[in-house]
Amino acid sequence: MKSKVLAVLVSVSLLATIFVGCGKTETAVTTETDVETTEEVTEEVTETTELENVTLVMWGAEEDQVMLGEMIESFKTFYADKAVFDISLGVQSESTAKDTVLTDVEAAADVFAFADDQLNELVNAGALQPVSINTDAIIEANGGVEAGSVKAAMKEDTLYAYPMTADNGYFMFYDKSVFTEEDVKSLDKMMEVASAAGKKITVDYSSGWYLYSFFQGAGLTLALNEDGVTNFCTWNETDGKYTGAQVAEAMLTIANNPGFVSLGDAEFVTGVTDGTIAAGINGTWNAATAEAAWGENYAAVKLPTYTVAGEQVQMSSFAGYKLVGVNAYSEYAGWAMLLAEWITNYENQVKRFEQRGLGPSNIEAAASDEVQSSPAIAALAAQSVYATVQRVGNNFWDPASAYGAIVAAGNPDGTDLQELVDLLVDGITAPVQ
Amino acid sequence: MKNFLTQIVKFIKEIVLAIKEGDLFVKFSLLIMGMGYFGRKQMIKGIIMTLFQILVCFFAWIVAIPYLIKIPTLGTVQREMIFNLDTMKNEVNEFDHSFKILLFGIISIFILFVSLLIYFVNIIKVRSLQLRKEAGKHINNFSEDIKEYFDKKFHITLLFFPVAGIVVFTVIPLLVVIMVAFTNYDQTNMPPTNLFTWVGVQNFQQLFTSSITITFGYSFKKVLLWTLVWAFFATFTNYIAGILLAIFINDKKTKLKKMWRTFFVVTIAVPQFVTLLLVRNFFADTGIVNTICQSLGVTEFLQNIGLVKQSLSYIPFLTDPAWAKVMVILINMWIGIPYLMLIATGVLLNIPTDIMESARIDGANGFQVFVKITMPYMLFVTGPYLVTSFVANINNFNVIYLLTQDVFFTMDQYLANSNAKEIDLLVTWLYRLTQEQYNFKMASVIGIVVFVLCATFTLLAFNTMIKGNREEDFQ
Repeated sequence: MKSKVLAVLVSVSLLATIFVGCGKTETAVTTETDVETTEEVTEEVTETTELENVTLVMWGAEEDQVMLGEMIESFKTFYADKAVFDISLGVQSESTAKDTVLTDVEAAADVFAFADDQLNELVNAGALQPVSINTDAIIEANGGVEAGSVKAAMKEDTLYAYPMTADNGYFMFYDKSVFTEEDVKSLDKMMEVASAAGKKITVDYSSGWYLYSFFQGAGLTLALNEDGVTNFCTWNETDGKYTGAQVAEAMLTIANNPGFVSLGDAEFVTGVTDGTIAAGINGTWNAATAEAAWGENYAAVKLPTYTVAGEQVQMSSFAGYKLVGVNAYSEYAGWAMLLAEWITNYENQVKRFEQRGLGPSNIEAAASDEVQSSPAIAALAAQSVYATVQRVGNNFWDPASAYGAIVAAGNPDGTDLQELVDLLVDGITAPVQ
Repeated sequence: MKNFLTQIVKFIKEIVLAIKEGDLFVKFSLLIMGMGYFGRKQMIKGIIMTLFQILVCFFAWIVAIPYLIKIPTLGTVQREMIFNLDTMKNEVNEFDHSFKILLFGIISIFILFVSLLIYFVNIIKVRSLQLRKEAGKHINNFSEDIKEYFDKKFHITLLFFPVAGIVVFTVIPLLVVIMVAFTNYDQTNMPPTNLFTWVGVQNFQQLFTSSITITFGYSFKKVLLWTLVWAFFATFTNYIAGILLAIFINDKKTKLKKMWRTFFVVTIAVPQFVTLLLVRNFFADTGIVNTICQSLGVTEFLQNIGLVKQSLSYIPFLTDPAWAKVMVILINMWIGIPYLMLIATGVLLNIPTDIMESARIDGANGFQVFVKITMPYMLFVTGPYLVTSFVANINNFNVIYLLTQDVFFTMDQYLANSNAKEIDLLVTWLYRLTQEQYNFKMASVIGIVVFVLCATFTLLAFNTMIKGNREEDFQ
């Protein structure tokens, strides 16, 4: 009897060591392979484990819900042999994703879409998972590290998000029945033509997002400091090719022109619909409105030049991208990354363009003839030469919008323009209080 | 205050007496809370108290102590993570979550404090049991004790749930928010990824500081002044206009009283935020009201008399600081008067007719009756309402925010540098500081200021204006 017990014990312990040994070698093997190709690793890992239950939450724009639902289904089918998925989809506008995510990172979705200007703060708050699966392939597919969409998704050489669209910037919309292609090259000419036709052109002076194009165009700088929170700004420059006060002067002249009015986004739509606005700087989100109002005459073009100190200066712009991020607090970070990669891959970017008209960031998808023939996307591509990726600290917006409101109102108090831009820069570069 | 102190002294004396003169069971219950009950054969109560003691000890060991020792620093270990390709998951270190430390720290302190109180009360209770036993009085068994809570001590049962509710849902969150005002919780120190820590009264100093880059002091003065002006006008315009409206409708000569009343009540039926958002569109620079004013020549007229600047082609209803301030007060009247009319109608019907009649006989005209009888009576009855609505208007978020958000842009660069606008109340400023700037520490400081403001007004008003014993004053 005793010997039997002993035999069992010995065999059990032997078996145990075998298993333990196996386990060790196995992990060693996987760590070796993951250096080479990451995709193989994920397959191998999922093979060794039982089918895992993966629960994910994804947030996307309201208009995209149906399409995202289809993408999730195809994702599930593709990985059906790797895990059992329970993926739910919620509505969250890309423009306010940051606010919702930062309210409670731990309760936010695993995968969410957002506009690239939010990346900096999301990274600062530690809300974004660095892309750690197929990173190089993703960068490659979107045009390499120098491509705008990749730069927009990177911070300090780390890729933090998956580029989804490359159409979130702004450009000039115009009505072909009012302007010729020659007219839209200069803002002065446009205002002249517009006021002659009893119409107006518009730029939203109350938003720092658009104001940037004047200052940046004139070679003045706005950038993020190394701390990632405060701004560096030379918009009150007193020497150099153009001074800050000269740009302010130029903006003021534009504001006082009878062919010009500063309108917000909603008023832009009203103006285009009721015919008082014949051209304006805005983005793809209003392309459908303009197309509906102007029909055949709808056209889009890169931003025009404007006059600073008697010279023509090309307006710059913020390049806008939409990105998909993975929550750094996601329980299934790996699968969330695969899902984010899936909804931004070539096929799904093509699908996104076909169904929703959104311009792809994937260079292969963007190269197709259909994409190139969309006026808005073509205009953005032409503007992209003058555009820069948006990296701005939170303190930029309110001071910029106050400055814009003053200039739009024609500087009612007659404040010295240098004083105006000095105060503007003080506000923009203020420390976080 | 004095009363409160003597109560505490009395309580301490009782405890000392109980420990000194208690028998063995009482003294033992210092160690094991149930002992005093076991000694008087109150087994169930004894078990409950002992279990309670064990639970508190467990809580202290597992929750309270780990959090409390971190309270002085609010955490030191920042979150770090490495993605593990094998498990497809993140490997995260044991990091500190400053906000959780603050929250659970305060909850722990609270629970431990209450437990300590119960511990001392327990000793006094046990001692009184001993005295009852010695005097040969009846000692309740458990079911008799329970019954007492529905009989002699019913007030305690009734009060338990409201008090517990207030503590859990109001007092503790309030304490946490107050504590945030003494930390550097803002966008650069946001948990869970980053830590925040104590900074003392620095934020309060900042609220009263004005420099080139830090303009909180400047903004605070402006916003506070407008908040008070707004609260005053919003309250009294509604109040007086509502009463007048009710008087007009109730007048004997008014026909179709019910119809008029219904017309005004209909505005209540539409949710306020719907009305406000619609009205915001009506009064936009390119909105319908402006279009009408322009075609009627009102815009031109206003330009001629200087109320609208020549450079504008529209009336800046909600975009110019002065116009916007007047407009929000007017629009607030429009949505607020019907409520006041309903309240006033009820009160007016209650004014004793004999007073009115004798006034008439004495030869008082309508105006004199209104000033000498109606208004004093109204003020007397609706005084508390007036105070609460003044305080509510200090915090009237809806009207200001919904009417001016995304429409009103400040042209005051100093205000803009601390994220405020001319039209902001303290609450809307606070809201935008948290929602747009994640500046929780300053928002919390402003929150405290609002609280102090409201508390002061309420106390002053209730102490001077409305005292329960002034029923005859209105005559």
